[in-house]
Amino acid sequence: MASHILSLIVLTPAIGALLLAFVDRKNVSVIRQGALMISCVTLALGILMAGSFEGSTLGYQMVETHSWIPGLGIGYHLGIDGISILLVLLTCFTMPMVFLSTWKAVGTRVKEFNICLLLMQTGMLGAFVALDIILFYLYYEAMLIPMYLIIGIWGGKRRIYAALKFFIYTMVGSLLMFLAILYLWQHTGTFDLPLMLERLRTSTPLDPQAQFWLFGAFTLSFAIKVPLFPLHTWLPDAHVEAPTAGSVVLAGVLLKIGTYGLIRFAVPLFPLAALEFQPLLCWLSLIGIIFGALMALVQDDIKKLIAYSSVSHLGFVVLAIFVFDASAITGGVLQMVNHGLSTGMLFLLIGVIYERRHTRELSDYGGIARVVPVYATFFIIATLSSIGLPGLNGFVGEFLILAGTFKVDPLYGTVAATGVILGALYMLKLVRLFLFGPIIHDENRVIPDLDAREWTYLLPFVLLMIWIGLYPKPFIEMVQPSIEHYLQLFAY
Amino acid sequence: MELLISPTEIEAILPAGILFLTGLVLLLVDLGGKERADSGMNPKNHLVFIGCAGSVLALMALVTGGGSVVTSLYAGAMSDDAFGRFAGALVTLALLLTTLGAGGYLSSIGQNRGEFYSLLFFGAGAMVLLCQATNLVSIFVAIETLSLSVFVLAGYTTDRRPSSEGAFKYFVLGAFSSGFLLLGMAFLYGVSGGSLALSDIAANGPQVADDILFAVGVLLMVIGFAFKVGAVPFHSWIPDVYQGAPVIAVGWMAVAVKVASFAALLRLLVAAGGGETLSRLIAAIAVVTMLLGNLAALNQTNIKRMLAYSGIAHTGYLLIPLVLGLTGTGFESGSSMLFYLAAYSVTTFAAFAVIATLSRGQDRESIDDLNGLASKHPMIAVVMTLAMLSLAGIPLTAGFVGKLMIFRDAVEGGYIYLALIGIISSVISVYYYLRPVVAMYFREATGDQHEVEHPWGLHLALALAGGAILLLGIDPQALVEFSVESMRSLLGG
Repeated sequence: MASHILSLIVLTPAIGALLLAFVDRKNVSVIRQGALMISCVTLALGILMAGSFEGSTLGYQMVETHSWIPGLGIGYHLGIDGISILLVLLTCFTMPMVFLSTWKAVGTRVKEFNICLLLMQTGMLGAFVALDIILFYLYYEAMLIPMYLIIGIWGGKRRIYAALKFFIYTMVGSLLMFLAILYLWQHTGTFDLPLMLERLRTSTPLDPQAQFWLFGAFTLSFAIKVPLFPLHTWLPDAHVEAPTAGSVVLAGVLLKIGTYGLIRFAVPLFPLAALEFQPLLCWLSLIGIIFGALMALVQDDIKKLIAYSSVSHLGFVVLAIFVFDASAITGGVLQMVNHGLSTGMLFLLIGVIYERRHTRELSDYGGIARVVPVYATFFIIATLSSIGLPGLNGFVGEFLILAGTFKVDPLYGTVAATGVILGALYMLKLVRLFLFGPIIHDENRVIPDLDAREWTYLLPFVLLMIWIGLYPKPFIEMVQPSIEHYLQLFAY
Repeated sequence: MELLISPTEIEAILPAGILFLTGLVLLLVDLGGKERADSGMNPKNHLVFIGCAGSVLALMALVTGGGSVVTSLYAGAMSDDAFGRFAGALVTLALLLTTLGAGGYLSSIGQNRGEFYSLLFFGAGAMVLLCQATNLVSIFVAIETLSLSVFVLAGYTTDRRPSSEGAFKYFVLGAFSSGFLLLGMAFLYGVSGGSLALSDIAANGPQVADDILFAVGVLLMVIGFAFKVGAVPFHSWIPDVYQGAPVIAVGWMAVAVKVASFAALLRLLVAAGGGETLSRLIAAIAVVTMLLGNLAALNQTNIKRMLAYSGIAHTGYLLIPLVLGLTGTGFESGSSMLFYLAAYSVTTFAAFAVIATLSRGQDRESIDDLNGLASKHPMIAVVMTLAMLSLAGIPLTAGFVGKLMIFRDAVEGGYIYLALIGIISSVISVYYYLRPVVAMYFREATGDQHEVEHPWGLHLALALAGGAILLLGIDPQALVEFSVESMRSLLGG
């Protein structure tokens, strides 16, 4: 069936950005409402798409194929399956909240800011649904520039350094991946992902040596994006310097493109090398889990603390991918979404308090739960979701990952479980120092609590967290068939 | 030999003829001496209009004429094929853009004289001829004519010392490289049985391929061209000349000289071959050129110098198709060179034209002069950003498709190490290509440097170049096909 829903979802934000370009820059409220509306339309389209998604179907759905640059063998090929659908929905869901949160926080160059965010959204959505490997690469690179501008223009004091670091780190990885893509094209004669997989399995298998190098190039690129220990050093800088909206998008969605890339490209294209690299990558993600948690434990800047917690949480996802167990990978995909929700919300909350007090140092707070009880409630819910408390979304993903990991190797499971305990430790420490205890600073006695706009963009996060936490069945059902199909690759 | 000129010969030489004639007309139109005193500050729109009309006519003659491959015109001095017309059209397009931008820019530095335009057009005519030349003498004459025009353009602002210094350096080194070229030609002439035509050299090539004189002859000619395109170690003139010359002329030189020289070099190597040894040598030059160009650009604070080194680096990328062609897999990879030249042309022109918009009295060429440009002139900043991203090879720009084609050919031809080094040097280049972007978007303007009334011509040229960068990045299919066909016409004919 010829359906254009995916193209529509991907291109709506870009078209919106184009329209916004013609609005007078002084007309700030029109720009803000326009951007919000565009992202809401995208969300509506996303929900519509999810409604017609058939969880039991294997393979890609809502596929679109057109020729694009036939002279170079590049096609326009989109499709969605259980692995990508949740990430598309997560992106569609996060963006309206982000736009709403910037209404007060971003006062300079509002027009450019909204255009950048919309272009980001197109880049991220495109990367999740592209099935032509060059098309994926285009989107993958294209979202780099708006993010670079968001950090560099609207960021903090060391924004230029952070923006450059972010850009160069990512470019190093992606250009090596580009070379690997060219090699693959030469080997298989196509850029089309399903066709390439087919040919690699049947007519033109790669020898282990080539797989080793190509997997290395792909994985390096995605590991930088995730970021996997020890390639994570750009992340704390980028997070601390980025404006709130930038952090939310970065942690909420952008990092998942790394883990998604591992599942979608690196592992299926080079299964032998993936098995060979398995111990290394598992240990790196375990080190990342522990290291991220320990680093988070000693941070004084709240944003940096959350940034390191991301390193730890995404370590779980990478671990899940490389233990090659159905429930672990299902948990990994869910964990991507859960991390997007909980960390996205935490960054939004930090933005809320930063707007009022203009500091992110933990030592400048303490005891504010009494002053802003509603805020504190939201913060604690987000924290508990991040820790993985049963009944909230974080638990489902983490449990599936740990269960799967223990099945494969108890040692991995033990180390990972230690990471969960450390996670509870640093998050609860954050809550204690930030919200409870005596009020040391008098400025903190007069902080206003959440207003209606802030309620509007925080409440959906909480509702989703509870929904996934109490009734994850529809989500798991969307993911699981695709995962089992995916694991047949390794029927060795 | 009959001294009759056939219609096909007229058709072949028509574009170059139009350009030379326009050059003459421009010179004559500006002869009226009564406004000499203030003529420098006058935008002289009539010269720009005449120039644009001339280049559009020449472009039409290039695009509409030809069709079939006709060799041995003018007793073998030139041929008429899609390849020559493609490269010639690139030169003429660059000429059109340069002419558009020149009026406003030259009046802003107070040096708006008719000579500038006629020099541009004489040089362009010679370049178009060079793209079509198929015999050693016509190649040499075309190169000398274009070099003379470019030497003078480099030293056009006579009251500035760096400009004269650059022009002098360029002249001396250029004369030196002509010596190499001529000596190489002499060797080839001797070895290939006393013929100047490339077709005879191609025919005799296989028999004399082992002759050391033949190899040395080809090598010397390659060296001569290496000077013109700025390949390491024959690149040392480029940064000084680029820094000294008026920026709009730099844009012209950087684009057109490179296009015409690469076209002639490709034609020469297709005919002469050169085998494994030459291919290895060019591969080494390409590697060093890519790395050195990009590394040297890292620390430049003068944007013209930075772009000069970046131009050297791009010469390195452009040499890769030659390496592939010489190894015996055939010169099909030349099509990626043609595409890359097109992408490089619009991109480089756009970057230099942006610098031209900043000039007031003299070139503002420090990267700091771009500070805060984005808030004063967002559209100019967008074009500059596009140009930088395209030079760095970021997707959705022309430069990405060009790099994709060249590296793809390299991987396909088994030269993974060339592609790898190309990619590593692209990573390096990202760092310095971002610096203007940082300056424009992330820093605040420090003075009044952007309070400039921009001339319409420059704006139009910028819009065209920026549009072309995007168009070639998003929908390159037509040009890809066209460059493949052009290359086929050269190989088949």
